[in-house]
Amino acid sequence: MTFLLAALIVAVTLVITFWAGRRNTSASDFYVAGGRISAPQNGIAIAGDYMSAASFLGITGLIALNGYDGFMYSVGWFIAYLTVLFIVAEPLRNLGKYTLADMLVYRLKDQRVRTYAAISTIVISAFYMIAQVVGAGALISLLSGGLLKASVAIPLVGVLMIIYVVVGGMLATTWVQIVKAVLLMLATIVMTLLILGHFGWSFSNLLGAAEAKNGADFLGAGLKYKNPIDLISLSLALVLGTAGLPHILVRFYTVPTAQDARKSVVWAMVLIGAFYVMTAFMGNAANVLVGKAAIETANKAGNMAAPLLAEALFGGKGTFGGELGLAFVTAVAFATILAVVAGLTIAASTSFTHDIYNGVIRKGQATGREEFRVARITTVAVGVVAILLGLLAQTQNVAFLVALAFALAASANLPVILFTLFWRRFNATGAIWGIVGGILTCLVLIALSPNIMGIDPADKTTGRHPIQAAPVFPLENPGIISIPAGFLFAALGTLVGAARRREDADEAFEEMKFRAYTGAGTDGTVAAHD
Amino acid sequence: MTVSRMQSGSPPVRNAAYQRLVAERNRFTVIMTVTFLVLYFLLPILAGYNKPLMATKVFGNVTFGYVFAFAEFAMGWIMAAIYVARARQFDRLAQEAQQ
Repeated sequence: MTFLLAALIVAVTLVITFWAGRRNTSASDFYVAGGRISAPQNGIAIAGDYMSAASFLGITGLIALNGYDGFMYSVGWFIAYLTVLFIVAEPLRNLGKYTLADMLVYRLKDQRVRTYAAISTIVISAFYMIAQVVGAGALISLLSGGLLKASVAIPLVGVLMIIYVVVGGMLATTWVQIVKAVLLMLATIVMTLLILGHFGWSFSNLLGAAEAKNGADFLGAGLKYKNPIDLISLSLALVLGTAGLPHILVRFYTVPTAQDARKSVVWAMVLIGAFYVMTAFMGNAANVLVGKAAIETANKAGNMAAPLLAEALFGGKGTFGGELGLAFVTAVAFATILAVVAGLTIAASTSFTHDIYNGVIRKGQATGREEFRVARITTVAVGVVAILLGLLAQTQNVAFLVALAFALAASANLPVILFTLFWRRFNATGAIWGIVGGILTCLVLIALSPNIMGIDPADKTTGRHPIQAAPVFPLENPGIISIPAGFLFAALGTLVGAARRREDADEAFEEMKFRAYTGAGTDGTVAAHD
Repeated sequence: MTVSRMQSGSPPVRNAAYQRLVAERNRFTVIMTVTFLVLYFLLPILAGYNKPLMATKVFGNVTFGYVFAFAEFAMGWIMAAIYVARARQFDRLAQEAQQ
């Protein structure tokens, strides 16, 4: 039944893809659906992009196993959208065309910046993508009862995603995200209603049952995060990183105006907020109705909590209802992974084609047709690389890859975005130092952290730590050090580059500022420039 | 380079509406951003350093931690609503600034 439902969802999304493919004729169509997506559609697609398998399966599992500490994740993931709304969404729409690099080059008038911004986009997307692909492989092999091995499931997801993006471009990707977001919300709402019915429509009763089963600790903080600094570091990366994630940023170029960008974020916040509030119900209910032991038996990290909960809520194991519930939630999780991976792929291939191929290699001389063709070839290449890296990283812990992508985005992209918008003296050298310094600091700290370094106990060969030595850097998430470092590098680079400052720099800043604040010259003109 | 530019080559017009827009918008952004960051970081800080408070039951079995976390969601939605209302005024100023 799981296979039937999953096949049905895939069939529907493929129909959308081929429908979109016929409308997909220029580079602008491919990158940003011609900038013609409406605000509500884009908002739902942002939500679809964001509520990845890591959120839906991961957070439900974290709460089911660790209680309150798991729910704190949900809060940070949601609040991050205030940063996006207040600071980046509207100016980004006003200043850019297809990518973050467009905005930086518009202000800084230096094509070198384009290369570095593109590299940053590709690196961040890659970490996010590998995590999703590896998660997909593990999940599908688990759900098919070992029928499909991860080494088969990973290429399967990769090939489907390549088809979505190559054939349908951004329009199809957006619709796949919308379909997935609607299915996910539907599943979550139905499950939450069933949970509430089960516990006498009282959250207090649900928590009471969880406490009776696990002890009072379960309702308070501290079961998962022992070190407060680590928790604060993670929170910083989440709250500041979202505003620098390439696949979220690219979504602001799919709408016609800054007002639509703002409305999209508000739509996304309503959906994402409602979804994450419901994770508190689902996680605790999974703990009570399925039980920690059963969840851990299915998957140590708790990734099966949501599907198992659905099975329990719809009648239990072996019943028709239970099977249907399990199958539906599993199929939705599959759609979720496909949609998120497609969104990441399009962000990475847009950046490569538009910024590196056209911007740097062809010096902006490539025609729209050429760019379109190269974008499709790039997508296949990006997809193949993602599949290969996914296969290599199969045994790695995936949660840290996602948290790392947030930390990278907050350290490398956010300082440069903020300084570009608000600092008159900021220059190209500052942007390059900020991006490179932020990425390197982040990567080095991760390499020295307990994610990579540590001593595995001799009896448990989990292979969690590639380097068998005590960690040099104590925190799981480097944000608290690497984010300030990104700002520092950007500021230092600005001072170093001040001697070579362009004489028209002040004028460029004023022009950028006028356009960022007023939207002058941007209303609906995106498509007209092709 | 394919980034679109302003249609005319002349420098953009700077009128009183534009000055007001920049001043008000900056002030608003700073106040909102600082407020939400402070309110948000209270959660991980309390969760890290005041575990007994987070585990205190406020009503029924609902702990302070859950009440606080749900309040963060409400804060997010309220601040977004305030921003949207204010942004409508900024949109009008932006229109005037381009006159």
